[in-house]
This record gives sequence, C-alpha cells and structure tokens, in this order.
Amino acid sequence: MRTVSKLLGLVCVWLVAQPANALNIFACEPEWAALARALAPQADIYSATHVYQDPHYIEARPSLIARLRRADIAFCSGAALEEGWLPALQQRASNPAVREGAPGMFYAADVVSTIEKHQEALVGRGHVHAEGNPHLHLDPDRVQTIARHFSERLMQLDPEQAAQYRLTFQVWQKHWKQKRLQWKQQALALSGKSVVVQHSTFSYLLRWLKIKPVADLEPAPGVSPTLSHLDTLTQQLKAEKPMAIMHNWYQSDNSAHWLAKRVSVPVLALPSTVSEKDGISTLDQLFDHLIAELRSAQL
Amino acid sequence: MKLKSLPLLFPFPLMATLGVSGLVEAADEQTRISATVDAYYKSDNTALGGREDGLGLGHTELSVQHQIADLFSARLTAIAEVNDVENNGDIEEAYLETLSLPAGLSVRGGRFLADLGYLNGQHSHADNFVERPLVYRGFLGNHYFDDGLGVRAVLPTNIYWQLSAAAFTGDHLGNFESGPSVGAWTLATKVGDDIDESQSWQAGLSYLRNRMDLHAGHEEEHEEEEDHEHEEEHAGHSHGAAFSGEHMYIADAVWKWSPSGNNKSQQLSVSAEYFKVTDISPEAGAGDHDGWYTAAVYRFAPEWSVGVRYGELNARQEHEEGVFENADLRETTLMAAWNPTHTQTVRLQYTHQDAEGIEGEDNAVTLQYLISFGAHDAHSF
Repeated sequence: MRTVSKLLGLVCVWLVAQPANALNIFACEPEWAALARALAPQADIYSATHVYQDPHYIEARPSLIARLRRADIAFCSGAALEEGWLPALQQRASNPAVREGAPGMFYAADVVSTIEKHQEALVGRGHVHAEGNPHLHLDPDRVQTIARHFSERLMQLDPEQAAQYRLTFQVWQKHWKQKRLQWKQQALALSGKSVVVQHSTFSYLLRWLKIKPVADLEPAPGVSPTLSHLDTLTQQLKAEKPMAIMHNWYQSDNSAHWLAKRVSVPVLALPSTVSEKDGISTLDQLFDHLIAELRSAQL
Repeated sequence: MKLKSLPLLFPFPLMATLGVSGLVEAADEQTRISATVDAYYKSDNTALGGREDGLGLGHTELSVQHQIADLFSARLTAIAEVNDVENNGDIEEAYLETLSLPAGLSVRGGRFLADLGYLNGQHSHADNFVERPLVYRGFLGNHYFDDGLGVRAVLPTNIYWQLSAAAFTGDHLGNFESGPSVGAWTLATKVGDDIDESQSWQAGLSYLRNRMDLHAGHEEEHEEEEDHEHEEEHAGHSHGAAFSGEHMYIADAVWKWSPSGNNKSQQLSVSAEYFKVTDISPEAGAGDHDGWYTAAVYRFAPEWSVGVRYGELNARQEHEEGVFENADLRETTLMAAWNPTHTQTVRLQYTHQDAEGIEGEDNAVTLQYLISFGAHDAHSF
C-alpha cells in the first residue's frame, strides 16, 4: 500500500496548490451555463454540451470526468435527460460535492413540475420517461422559478457571497419579468397556430406561446422519422396546413424538408438552447430569437 | 490482509439492501435495475474461446445498482451464458464503492471487473463486436473479474488523469491449483482529453501481477489440450486465461471523432491495445507471450454502424518438458450493426482466423441480437 500513501501525498500537494477562488460550476447543458453566468458572474462556468449535440446522447468523455472532478456545483436538467451519461461521470469523477443527493448536485426538474409524463414502457418508447419532458428551460415561467432556487443554492454553498447572489438575482428577475411581458405581447399573434415538431424539444415553449403541435416527425419519441410515418403525416397535413415544420439544430433536416415540399409549408431550423458563437448567449436572447423566428414563419 | 473472506463478507450487506429496498422501491431514483439479453447464432467454432457455435445466449445479465445513504453505492451483476455445450451462471460483480471520500478517491470492495486495458472495465454488452479481441480471450479469459479490494484516484488536473491499484484473490485468473491469499494485484493509469469539439482521446497503461502457482496450472492445461474433446468444451465460456505469465503489461489508446461532437448521428472510433506477458515459465528459453489488436468502428447514421478489427496473439506453448514452440493466431473481424431503437442491437459479424501451432482455427458468421430493459446503462467512453 506504499503506492497508495504516495498517491495520497501527491493529491494533497495538488489540493493545497489549488487556489480557493471562484466557485466552479459544471452545467450539463448550455442553457444552465447561461443562467449560472447571469446569477453568478464571478464563477468559473463550464457547459458539458452545446447546441449541436443531442443532450440525451453524450459520452462520458475523459474531459467531462476531469471537469466534474473539479466542480463545486453541477447544474443539470434532471428528469432523466442526462441518465445515459451523468451517472457515469459522477461515478468516475469521485467528487462527493456533486454526488446524487448532495447540495452541490442541482437538478432543475427537482424544483418545478414537468409536463408530458408517460408511464414508462419497457421497450420501444424511445427516450420518454415517467419523469416527464426535461426540456424545461424553454418555459419563461419555469426558468424564473429555477433561477430563484439555484440562486438560493448558491447562497447556501457560498455563504460569504450570499448578499451578492441575492442582489444579482433580484436584478436578473426584474429584467426577466419585463422580457416576459414583452414575449407575451409578441406571442399574441402566434396564439392558436399549429406546427409540426420533431421530438418534444419545444413543448414547453409552444405551450407557453399557445401554439398547438399537431404532429411529430418522430413516429415514437426518440425514434428517427420513418418514410411510412412521413407518408401518413402528408395525408393528415394536406387537410389541415400547419404554420411551419420545426426541427432543432442538432437534428438532420432531411425529414422536415421532405415533408415541407409535399405539403408546402416553411421549415424552421431553431436552436434548442443558447449558443454563444451564433450570437445567442443568454436565455433572453434565446427567447427573443425563437419568438422572432416563429413570427417570421407566421407572416 | 485476508482477502479470501471478502467474497463471503461483501454480498451480504448488498443482498440485504437489494432485497429490502431495491425490489420494494423499484421506482426509487437511487435504485437502478437493468437487464440485457444477448441471443446469438454462430456458424462455426473458432479458436481460443469466443462463443460456442449454434444458437445460444451470450453475456446475458441482470444488474442492480443502489446508493446506500451518501456513503456507498452497491452493484450486483449476475450473468448467464447458455449454449449447446454448457449452461453457465455467475456473479460478475458484487461490490460496494465509497462515494464520499475526499480528494477524488474511491475504494471498492467485493467482486468487480479489474481496471485493466481499455475494455476490461467495461460491460460486454456495450462492445462493438460479438467477441472480445484475441488478447482478452487468450490472456484474460475474456474479461478478468475477481474478489478483491481496489482504490482509485482522479487527480484534480485539467486533463483527465486517473490512477488505480487493486489486490485480488487471483481465483478467477485461471485454473491454478494454489496461490497466496493475494493472488494478483494490478496498477493502472489513464489520461484523456478533448482535442477539439469533434475529437477526443484516452490512453492508458496497466499492469497485472499474477502470483498464482503458474507451473501447476500449465501442466493441467497442457493435458487438456492433448484431449480434443476437452478442447471443444474449452472453446465455449472461458474459465480463465489460456496463456499466463507472472507479469502482464498493457498499453491502450482510443481516439473518437464525431462532427461537432454530436456522437448520436455520426462517430468514428479507433482503438488499439498491446499486451505483453512475461515470465511464463521458470524454464530458460520459454520466451514471452504478446499480442495486439486495432479496431475501427464507424457509425454513419444513428441506427447503423460498421466496424473492422484485426488482432494477433503470439504465445509460447510447452509441447514437451522444457521445449517451447510458437503458437500464433491472427483474426480479422468485420461487423455491421443496426439499432432499430436505442435499447436494441442486431449485429452481423464475420470472423476469419489463421493459426500456426494453435488448433481449431476457422471462419465463422455470427448473428447477434441484444436487447436491454430498465434503467439505461451509462454510455462510457
């Protein structure tokens, strides 16, 4: 066991050498990194995924293990969205601060309710869970609740700066409430319209905007579109034309275009989350963008 | 350290936990139950382990994971293999792992997969090929799990860096008559990182010290190989390594590429491992065993992947007292897999073997169907 004691010594040296500065936040998805940045601007924030990745299918890559190993807080969606990779990261990172049930492990789905809860089937249901739809960040009301709880968690974990976190949250909330009114106003024109979706990514947003998703390109949630299913949709949609066919950036646009050509409706390629390099770095910029795109299709 | 008592000691708290809370609160977030059924048809027997020909069940497993308060996580994995020659059941994993140690440390006790090479610590149902590479079949008996105690540390460095050490009874290394109470120990290190948004890599070095009574084991094995009926039986489920030595060194590397990091739709992964086994016999001129493989798997659409693997195994076999001869095996494998849903895989594989000094080489076509139920097992790198 001499190796172990040597190893322990080595690790201790490392720990002492580490500066005890900013809070280290590991966000599972870019939306939570953006929210964390708004609520804890001084923190060192890392997003495990980006807008061109399907957050259901992430590999427990070495770089992610190393990041989670050094995190003080992990900010994730929950509702089983990350169940294919986060448990592996937690297990391999051996970081007690972010293990299941620790105060540093924050799930958005723990503080708000979810929609579209299904009975879990054993096979074939694709990626739909009894926990409900995990794409919670696309509902402005839920985002506000999540922000409040996350800010409280920051105060609990970093009490020295609690006053700062409280103030930052209050400023953010005031701004968010104004934006929310503005989006409600803009959404009036969209109310009652119908769209075709590909996966349940935008369900919360559509509900909030009172837009009806009348069809899904996926024959079953999480299952890629099939030709026979698209054929059925063609018949259905010719009778009742939707405003647009939506898909998100990480999905292939083949099926959306195939169907759009047959029923002659526009295709909307929308980001499912923030993306700094595309000029959408905050959640309110994301809602601005999504609502503007939907309004442009409606014209 | 009395390691022999570990396998007896550990399953009991585990069983109690699983029995009481696991089954009653199956929906509890902290209990994850998963099952994988692996059904296959193989046209012919091939040399050195792998699967028995005909219809059968491969690595079919039931796994239960449970978090015990904030302190431990427990895992129990039972496996079954069924074919024309034999029916096998075994406990592959039954361990407790700490969750709350500081400094990136964790300790495991019970029965678990040794941290060796790229594949050994991974569950077989996640493999890209129906059978493990030659080096795993020949030197580790497909995969090496045993009763023991292990410690692991992830260092707080910018790139991923893990160190691990474990001590085992050595009972699962092969059919050895005797050995000390710590029959084997291992050391391993892994490093890895992303190159850019689309590429990531991992590399590792590991070492296995085999302290079992190797000489007695070899004689027994030698007798078996002269008996052809016996060898047929041996070709099925592997009960330990066919070729052993006191020291085993493994170097492994893997590189993965997926456009924009969206590994669901497209991914290329290339892996390679090299094994060297030394001190195979006290006889002078016995030589060493070694082997390697390299594999490339390309998923070109979410549901489809193709792969190719080439591997060599160069062993030294004692044909008469003190006289060692080369026993070489080369294997080329081609596979195509279809995932109609994320819980199912249909895989077609063709295996071609060339051998010198090893009997039973053949070509085979295998059709495999895998289906999993319950909690998703995390997709490891």
